[in-house]
Amino acid sequence: MWYQFNLFTIDLIALLGIYIIINFSLRLQMGYTGIANFGLVLAFTGGAYVVGWLPVRLGMWIFHIDSGLGSDMIWNNTLIVSQINSCLQGQILTALTIFIITLVAAAFVGVVLGLASGYPAARLRGDYLAISLLALGEILAIIGGNYDPLVGGPLGVQVPDVWAWTGDVRFTVVSIVNLLVALGVWVYMHFLEKSPIGRTLRAVRDNRDAASSLGKDVTRIRLKVMVVGAMLCSIAGALYAFYTTGVVTSAYGMFDWTFLPWVMVVFGGAGSNWGVVVGTLMFITVRKLIIFYKYSFAFLPFDPIWLQYLLMGVVVLLILIFRPSGLVPERVSYALSKSRVVKIANKILSEK
Amino acid sequence: MMATLVDAITFSSFLSMMGFGLTLVRRTTGVWNVAQAGLVSIGAYVTLTLVSFVGGSPYLYLPLAFLIGAGVGAILFLVAINPLRKASSIILLVATIAFNLILISIINIYADYLQNVFGILSKSFLLTRLDFKIFGRPAISTISVSTLLIFTIAFYLFLRYTRTGLALRGCIEQPSLAGVVGVSVRSLYLFSWVLAGGSAGLAGGFLPLFFQCNPNIGFYLIALMFCVSILGGVGEIYGPFLGGWLVGFVQIFGTTLLASTLGPWVILYKGLFPMVILVLTLLFVPQGLSGIDWRAKVRILKRKGG
Repeated sequence: MWYQFNLFTIDLIALLGIYIIINFSLRLQMGYTGIANFGLVLAFTGGAYVVGWLPVRLGMWIFHIDSGLGSDMIWNNTLIVSQINSCLQGQILTALTIFIITLVAAAFVGVVLGLASGYPAARLRGDYLAISLLALGEILAIIGGNYDPLVGGPLGVQVPDVWAWTGDVRFTVVSIVNLLVALGVWVYMHFLEKSPIGRTLRAVRDNRDAASSLGKDVTRIRLKVMVVGAMLCSIAGALYAFYTTGVVTSAYGMFDWTFLPWVMVVFGGAGSNWGVVVGTLMFITVRKLIIFYKYSFAFLPFDPIWLQYLLMGVVVLLILIFRPSGLVPERVSYALSKSRVVKIANKILSEK
Repeated sequence: MMATLVDAITFSSFLSMMGFGLTLVRRTTGVWNVAQAGLVSIGAYVTLTLVSFVGGSPYLYLPLAFLIGAGVGAILFLVAINPLRKASSIILLVATIAFNLILISIINIYADYLQNVFGILSKSFLLTRLDFKIFGRPAISTISVSTLLIFTIAFYLFLRYTRTGLALRGCIEQPSLAGVVGVSVRSLYLFSWVLAGGSAGLAGGFLPLFFQCNPNIGFYLIALMFCVSILGGVGEIYGPFLGGWLVGFVQIFGTTLLASTLGPWVILYKGLFPMVILVLTLLFVPQGLSGIDWRAKVRILKRKGG
């Protein structure tokens, strides 16, 4: 029981970290800037594909693994990965280097995908943008699922385990790393809230015309935000692939990586950082619980996993109708802290 | 070649029917309805259920697919769209996605139930064996095209010659003015959702005769539906028919043509076609084909010529 609970918590924390990153990406795009990005899955998949493609090749190059195997990377994938893994056992520094290089590459791919999808879309307004990105989201899934040399087509590939050196506590370490990256993103979002950039983004969201009359290039700002958002999603995708040590194209669907983040963010409140975290935590927990207790529902004549979608849909409709700003609504954020405003006000009053 | 042409015509008819619903509710209530996907899947399952339990030709049950689709469309409007009528278009879009999640889960639960309790293969089914032949070709092509034609002509006549049609046109052009002269805008909006749900259900009812269907068949086609709607343009009500035929022909003929020149591997990537079309449309004609002011273009050309 204790062991199961442990597994449950570790998986929960790992997924929590990944979803918090994606959801903050959505918070940045939707909450701050008003870009309804329904194509989160695109960059997420991109990041995961980088992990499916790059670390194996890096590992082969670093450890001089027999190039005969390299003639068919996909067919020999398991063999190559197990050789790399055994080489990686004692090599903490090499493993971490591979991890970081891959993350940087994933971030770069995210930027490229953000530019590619954002360029045609950033000038569109509101819902047009939303459905275009929705339709474009599955491009990589189609390519990855059919073009085997990329990430093994429908069968997928294994990924070298850069955390193999941690031994028994591997999953604990990975979930903590995921959570730390998520915390970093959270801190960034926290400071963004009170920064001039944050105010510019909100101006773009609330009134494009007013923002552009003040000299802000609205289309450019929107494109930049989409690029940063895609980068975050891509990093999340890479972390997820490193966590599961495998990339299977069918695992990167629109439901899990676009709709679920939307549900969490709409539920928690797109206008507040705390809202995003609360929404994510609640949904991940419920989702994990349903999966965890799935077999207790064996008497049902259907797969209980569908109840999760039912629940998600109903909750979102209720939230939209009865509490449209989410569980934690957006607060007015002042450019200066309240005490400083009071001080300035007092100074002006005393001068009079 | 002939077979490809027939396939393209059939596919285009489906796309037009599905795109019609999308465009109509976008025109009336300003919503991009993602739940169209679920409505299409429902149509497919109505056909499957009745064919399995009652038997007979799938065509017999098309009216029922239309009615059930229409009913769900009405529920969607009353539950999700009407309470949110003051919300932004993005919120409404999220609401339709949420409703689609509900539909997807219900359809999947239903499919599981059919399979586990009645042993019907409901997770992946194709009913082409129940089709008959007209002129040596599967009847589905003739019947789908004629249904589309009848539907289009009926809708045109309805808009042109009936009082309700006039009122609906009024609601689309100037909802507040229509309300002032005594038109019940809300019930006409409801009517448009009923019609949209019905057309999606109808198209879904046809699908098992042409496609391998599963609970996600509608979602699989949703990118194409948006493509049809955007390419055709939402400005004119005939937009989806234009868009449907263009997208359908480009999809089927484009794939066949490219496969014969570049090699059969192209077929694997046919899902990318609608996306390419969508991006090109958004870049060059964001208002859609029916939104282009052709007369102005001709004037400009003439002026250049003169």
